[in-house]
Amino acid sequence: MIHSEEAIGKVLAGLRDAEASPGLERRIMRAVEAHASQRQAAKPSWAWSVAFAGVMAACLLIAITAIYRHVHPSTQAQQQVLPAASAESTQDASLLPPKPIAPTRTPIRIAAHVQKVQAVSAEEAVLLSEMRAPSHPAPAAPLTKEEKLLLRAVHLGDPQVTAMLDPEERARQAAESEAEFQKFADLSDDEDQESNQPTE
Amino acid sequence: MAAIAGGGLVLEIAQPEIDVAALVETYSRLLFRVAHSVLRNQAEAEDVVQDVFVRVIERRRSLQSIRDMRVWLVRIAWNLALDRKRRIRPVQMDESFAECLAANTAPADEKLYESQRMKAVLREIERLPRAERHVLLLSAVEELGTAEIAQVVGRSESAIRALLFRARTRLRERLEVRGGER
Repeated sequence: MIHSEEAIGKVLAGLRDAEASPGLERRIMRAVEAHASQRQAAKPSWAWSVAFAGVMAACLLIAITAIYRHVHPSTQAQQQVLPAASAESTQDASLLPPKPIAPTRTPIRIAAHVQKVQAVSAEEAVLLSEMRAPSHPAPAAPLTKEEKLLLRAVHLGDPQVTAMLDPEERARQAAESEAEFQKFADLSDDEDQESNQPTE
Repeated sequence: MAAIAGGGLVLEIAQPEIDVAALVETYSRLLFRVAHSVLRNQAEAEDVVQDVFVRVIERRRSLQSIRDMRVWLVRIAWNLALDRKRRIRPVQMDESFAECLAANTAPADEKLYESQRMKAVLREIERLPRAERHVLLLSAVEELGTAEIAQVVGRSESAIRALLFRARTRLRERLEVRGGER
C-alpha cells in the first residue's frame, strides 16, 4: 500500500512539476502574431466587401435579365410584329386616343438574341423561323375617312376652277378678259367706220 | 492589428484592445501544465497552449463578458487537450514520460523497475472512470483549487472532493491488486 501510494504521489508530482521548455511565451507569441497577421491578410476590408457585394448584385441582375429574355423571347418578337399586323385595325381605331407604347428592345438586339435561341419543339421551330424571317416594311394603310374627304375637296373639279379660287388669279383673268373685250370693241369700231364710208 | 512594442512582446488588438502578451505571460505555464496532465508530452501540450491563445484572439470581442479569465482559459486548454488526446492516443508518450520520471533513479535495474511502476500507474489512471480521472489529473495541477476544478468540469465542489477521494482509492486498490498478482 505504501508503495502504490508512493508511486501515485510520484506520478502526480511529475505532472505537477512539468515545465515547458525555455522560451514558451516567445514561441506562443510568434504563433499568435502569425495567426493574427494571417487573419488580417485573409480578412477583406469593408470597402472590398461592399465592392464585391455590388459586383455580385450586378451579375445577379444580368443573369436574371438573361434568363427572362431566354424564357420569354416570343413576347419580344410579338411586340415587333404588332404594328404591321394591326395596321388595318388602326384605320378604325385612329379616332381613339393613342395607347401607351411599351418599351421594346432595338431590332438589332432582338435579331441577335433570336439567332441564339434554339428550337425545342416543332411549334417553337415554326415560331422561330417566322421570327428569323427578314422583315419588310408594313403595307401602305388605306386612307381614313377624313383623308378621303380632303382628297375629294381638293380634286373636286377642273384645275381652272380650282385656280379660280385664288382671288389674285381671278382678278388677273378678269383683267385679261376685260383687255380682250376692249381690244375686240376697238376692232369693231374700226370696222364700222370702214363700212359706213361710201364706196366710190 | 498586431504590433511588437519595445523589447517585450505586446500584441495589441484594436477594438477592444487586449494585452495578449500579458495573458501569455501570466497563464501560459499554468495552461501548459493543464494540457500536459492530459497529454504527457511537452510538444503536444505547447501546441494546445498556442491554440488557446489563438482562440483568445478569435473571440476577443466577447472577452469583456468573461468574468473569470483564468478558469475560462483553463477550461479551453482542458477541452483542447482532451480533444487532441482522442486523436493521438498517446501510449508512447506515457512510456517516455514514465522513463523521465524514473530518470533520477541511479542504478540501471532500479531505473527500469521504477519506469515500469510509473507506466503501471499511468495505465491505471487511464482506466479510471472518466469523471474520476479528470478530477485526479486536474488536482495534480497545483495552482488549481477545488472551486476552480469544479468550474472547469462543471460539478459542485463537494462532488469534486468525493470524486477525488474515490479516484485515489480506486487507483491505489488496483495498483495493489496488480502488485499482488506479480
